[in-house]
Amino acid sequence: MAKPRKQKEAEKKERETGKRPEPVRKEGLRELLKDWQVLLLVILVACSLIAIYPHFENGKLTTANQFGLDLQGGSWLQMSFDSVVAGFTSDRPIGNLTESLAKRLDAEVSLVGPEQLEIRKAVNRTDLGQAFAAEGATLTTYERGVSRSTGEDIKRILEQKINTLGTKDARVNLLTPVGTNIVRYVRVELAGVDINTAKSIVGRQGLFEIRIKTTENETAHVLYGNAITSVGNPQQDPTKMSWGVPFTLSEQGAADFRAAANRYGAVNDPKAHPVSMILDNVTVFSAPLDPTLAKELLTQDVQRLSASTGSGTTGMTQAQTLEIHLRAGALPVAVQVANFGQVSAPLGEYFKFMCLIAGLLAILTVGVVIYYRYREPSIVLPMMATNLSEVIILLGIARFIQQLDLASIAAIIAVVGTGIDQLVVITDEVLHEGRVPSPALYTKRLARALDIILVAAGTVVFAMLPLALMDLSTLRGFAIITILGVLVGVGITRPAYGKIIMYVLSK
Amino acid sequence: MSKSLMYPVSSSYGMSWFSYDINKYTNLKTVAIPMAIFALSLLIVGMTWASTGLPVKPGIDFKGGTAVTLSTTDNEDAIRAYFAGFPLEPITKDVSSRLYLLKFTAMSADQNQQLVEKINARYPDANVDYIDSTFGATLQGQALIALLFSFIGMALVVFIAFRTFVPSFAVVSCAFIDMVGTAAGMTLVGIPLTLPTTAALLMLIGYSVDSDILLTMRVLKRQGKLEDKLAGAFHTGIIMTSTTLAAVLSIWVVSALGQIEILRDMAAVLLIGLLLDIMNTWITNASILKWYVEGKVS
Repeated sequence: MAKPRKQKEAEKKERETGKRPEPVRKEGLRELLKDWQVLLLVILVACSLIAIYPHFENGKLTTANQFGLDLQGGSWLQMSFDSVVAGFTSDRPIGNLTESLAKRLDAEVSLVGPEQLEIRKAVNRTDLGQAFAAEGATLTTYERGVSRSTGEDIKRILEQKINTLGTKDARVNLLTPVGTNIVRYVRVELAGVDINTAKSIVGRQGLFEIRIKTTENETAHVLYGNAITSVGNPQQDPTKMSWGVPFTLSEQGAADFRAAANRYGAVNDPKAHPVSMILDNVTVFSAPLDPTLAKELLTQDVQRLSASTGSGTTGMTQAQTLEIHLRAGALPVAVQVANFGQVSAPLGEYFKFMCLIAGLLAILTVGVVIYYRYREPSIVLPMMATNLSEVIILLGIARFIQQLDLASIAAIIAVVGTGIDQLVVITDEVLHEGRVPSPALYTKRLARALDIILVAAGTVVFAMLPLALMDLSTLRGFAIITILGVLVGVGITRPAYGKIIMYVLSK
Repeated sequence: MSKSLMYPVSSSYGMSWFSYDINKYTNLKTVAIPMAIFALSLLIVGMTWASTGLPVKPGIDFKGGTAVTLSTTDNEDAIRAYFAGFPLEPITKDVSSRLYLLKFTAMSADQNQQLVEKINARYPDANVDYIDSTFGATLQGQALIALLFSFIGMALVVFIAFRTFVPSFAVVSCAFIDMVGTAAGMTLVGIPLTLPTTAALLMLIGYSVDSDILLTMRVLKRQGKLEDKLAGAFHTGIIMTSTTLAAVLSIWVVSALGQIEILRDMAAVLLIGLLLDIMNTWITNASILKWYVEGKVS
């Protein structure tokens, strides 16, 4: 690191004259607070305290921090998909290829990207490769999972199910490995619910019914959800620009539908006899038959239908919602449970308490070790205060980006350990041979100490980076908190400590 | 903590209970000790690897299975009887004998569903964690990749920071020796490789090089007698590791008493690693550095 000229001159002078310039004068506390690094530290601690807002609620200390399920009680369910996203090359027209693949594999196949197909079935790589080859295409990539848009559908469906039950505090997350656009897992977290309830919520199917208006105030039953064999993704009509959800009826369902349309006169006067879709006794869609469709129903059964929702963004969102309703809570792909669990509220409460004890004990023992070493409260107290402020700032930041679970609390406690390490490096470097150095020498030594700290911090950040990027469930929080702790330490608290300790020592 | 850590600010080095005698610790005979431990660790890790396919025996996270924590006044036999017919592994409990930790090996989906219902019927306040074995295998692969990338990342930072081969190589190999030793230690003590212990190992990659970096920086970038620099680095480095040890030891004590498995295992892994690191930094790494610096001077 290049030394500023002034500093060099001071050192030179020191060497030449053989005596040190006047030691740092006692600066007022106000002077110290004028230093931007110290000021930043104070401001951040204050802001963090406001953000975490520690207060008593029903006689218990609570904060605004979000706690993970393992400290709060609740259950989670992580599911993988019976689906494959495959890359391919082929000379055949896309529509033609997907159709014949769908027939051959007996699965829904749709184009999800340029030369990328989603196959909604758990096919292994070899079988899929053979199927592609048989259809004159080459399989280039194979990933288990679903496309982002299907993933979003699944998320919406699950959120909808959870919302209808009025369960608060629920989270549905799609887990997508970094650098891909393929969703591997969906994770549902429900606070305050046991795993059996959570499973039944996620697996719940709604009662879906299609009814038709007969007279002014009455409607008649046409068919139930079991007559719908498949539901497609929302599509935009290229000529009318309106959005719609395609769906297919079983043969029996198509016959029933035609019979009802004829019996109640909807085929002749569609406007007077609109068809409505009802999910769990709530009407989710209502519209008259399209004149062309009405005409067709006079003579034959129609299995492939589409519910049109209008054009523009409104039409699109309505189509997305309608798709979910048509599925009546069924997910577009079959899922397998990869991981589930529950934590009871009392045990979560107990873990939280033990974490607090462990954290306090850690700070205390670290304090004792430091005191044993320096025997000087004026060094030990600022050290502990700096350490504590690191924890507070970390909690403050975590309040906005990361829920606290057992693993991230372990990371916070670890920050206490490493944080003190670095403060020791600063103190020892500055206090070489127990003497208080001149300001110039002090700055030089502080810079040297910060050099060591920077390299050490770099190794921790890089060691944790893979975990922060990968989705190894709870370990992501651990890595994020550790990295944040290091950054806060290197960027804010440790340089500020350097200034504070100088002020303390020069007294 | 022993009294050996005493180092009043103003005292000169070597005037306390535990002094760092450079010539005693950094010679071939002394280096033989960490090397022997390293060889033994390699053997243990190699054997575990051969039998399980992993450097440390995998836990439920990677093998698949169900972990259950329950708080009850039932005794162990009653619990065992209640879960008869399920693949239950030996039960562990906390000091108060109120909190039990049960582990079941992988079972069919149906049996698993029955198990969960049975748990909730009698112990509604139980914690349950189920990992499907396929998912476990995926996690295991990812965890190993994370460890590898972590190590490479750390090595890159070290090589960029020092830009000289021998000292950088010394730091990186000490970290490697620490990791292998810790893995062997886990096998000896019976700590399985799980997601939390993987995280602890990753953290160790970062932690263990802290004192090596301090040592190398002090020796290479400062002026003065080598002996003084080594002693000075030790003076600071040993207190760094002691503070970390103190923090980790507190977590271990609390979580071992309170049966918080995640924290207990993580703390135990860090404890093993940090203790090994003291030896590897101040004997192995210091010896290599001394050899390197003296070679350059003469």
